[in-house]
Amino acid sequence: MDISRRQLAAVVLASTAAAQAPPAPKPEPEADVDGARLQQRAAAQIIARVPLPMTIEPAFLFKA
Amino acid sequence: MAEIAPDIFFAGISELNAKLRAKEFSCRELTEAFCDRIERIGPRYNALALSLRKQAINKAKDVDRELKRDRTRGPLQGIPYGVKDLLAVQKQPTTWGAKPYATQVFDYDAHIVEKLDKVGAILIAKLSMVELAGGGDYRTAAASLTGPGLNPWDRTRWSGGSSSGPGAAVSAGLVTFAIGSETSGSILTPSAFCGVTGLRPTYGLVSRQGAMALSWTLDKLGPMCRSAEDCALVLHEIAGGDTEDPGSAGRSFNYTPKYARKPADITVGYMPVDFEDGAEPAAQPALRTAFEVIKSLGFRLKEIQLPEFPYGALVSTIIAGEAGSIFEEFIRSGKVNELADPHQIAGLKAMLDLPSTEYLRAMRVRTLVKAAFHDLFLNCDVVLAPTRLGPAGKAAEPLDATGPPTRSRGGLIPGGNLAGLPAISLPCGFAEGLPVAISLLGRPFWENQLIAIANLFQKQTDWHRRRPPVEA
Repeated sequence: MDISRRQLAAVVLASTAAAQAPPAPKPEPEADVDGARLQQRAAAQIIARVPLPMTIEPAFLFKA
Repeated sequence: MAEIAPDIFFAGISELNAKLRAKEFSCRELTEAFCDRIERIGPRYNALALSLRKQAINKAKDVDRELKRDRTRGPLQGIPYGVKDLLAVQKQPTTWGAKPYATQVFDYDAHIVEKLDKVGAILIAKLSMVELAGGGDYRTAAASLTGPGLNPWDRTRWSGGSSSGPGAAVSAGLVTFAIGSETSGSILTPSAFCGVTGLRPTYGLVSRQGAMALSWTLDKLGPMCRSAEDCALVLHEIAGGDTEDPGSAGRSFNYTPKYARKPADITVGYMPVDFEDGAEPAAQPALRTAFEVIKSLGFRLKEIQLPEFPYGALVSTIIAGEAGSIFEEFIRSGKVNELADPHQIAGLKAMLDLPSTEYLRAMRVRTLVKAAFHDLFLNCDVVLAPTRLGPAGKAAEPLDATGPPTRSRGGLIPGGNLAGLPAISLPCGFAEGLPVAISLLGRPFWENQLIAIANLFQKQTDWHRRRPPVEA
């Protein structure tokens, strides 16, 4: 199919405009999960401040 | 047909059992009366998940036949009770309080249900709960298949969770006792808010076989009753080793009140701030009075400091690691989106992104927590503190987020659970018409001594006998 140079320019301009448009806002549920992840990170940072000698093992026990 | 007087619904286990044995009424009459009551009143508080009337009546008939032949099985024989709906009851829906599991049915009874059946207790109902025991960090009372748990003392207030149904049902005299569960606060909180006595046993003392798992290393099952004595009677029957529960401590519990230490031989540790301005202003008078009662009983009192650890962060990280694994398929399948609380949905989804190093670090710090509590109990025998810093909040409002622990604020519940320690919550007064409670935290397997102290407190006070305005 033949297209005119004007039509081709219009297509190029349209795709450039789309690339420059701001991203659509994340759907609400994903934002909530991000919030929950941030809370997990925050908890980890608080725990990381507790001095922890290398010799301390986790509070569960495995026996063969 | 004997008429069941209203007082019967609020009677303790021993009193009720004595009346059955004296044939003041039959077990069937008693069971029918409780079933009528829980079916009629339970929905007012969204406390009832499922009535088990038919099987309860059949069991009651068995008990009547036994009592006729003087075949006695102990103080729980013939006593109506309910279980939090995370416990399997054969061929009945076990919903875990969550819409995606609304039609889930197991073909077996949980171990604790089997034990109570063997001693003749009458299971009349499954009681409501926060969906999935609230493991994803719920923020609303409505985070439940059965709607928000409402408080029998004031239906605009929350009953507490996640054992919301057990708390409300015992408080309102719909069952004589209930079995709840606690990962971090779920027995003690509804007990405090609803004005009942709740016992969280030492980790591993009561088998969890047949109960929904939220956190393998934190979950415990325990009694919620009208008194410490009743908690002891129930614990006596439900405790014990079970090879089918990997967390089982392989120990039993025998209620031995006659071997309780004298008050003068017991040191009660406490943090003064808890009984001064650390609690909410409305709760402070009741807590101060409770402290004076404990003092008057002759215990040695000692000021202590709770070990300083980020308890809330530790509990939430450990739950995230374990619940994330337990519910991994549930989350990845998308069924998690059917839960009621969006915050809980998000929390569960985020669990899948928790690095193992974070979980393991939390579990290593937990070793330090255990050691610190061990050292604490070298200087005192029990720790006394408010169960919660204020009465129940409004059911329609967002629940309080856990703030950073300052002094003892909120530290005893997560800290005690991290260390696997037993605790008992006792009603100790009212704030703005709502129950307030104190807790006693003890060493591992110190339940007998905690109960002995609680019994002494309840002999001096009558808060545990107060009744909410149910008929109004």
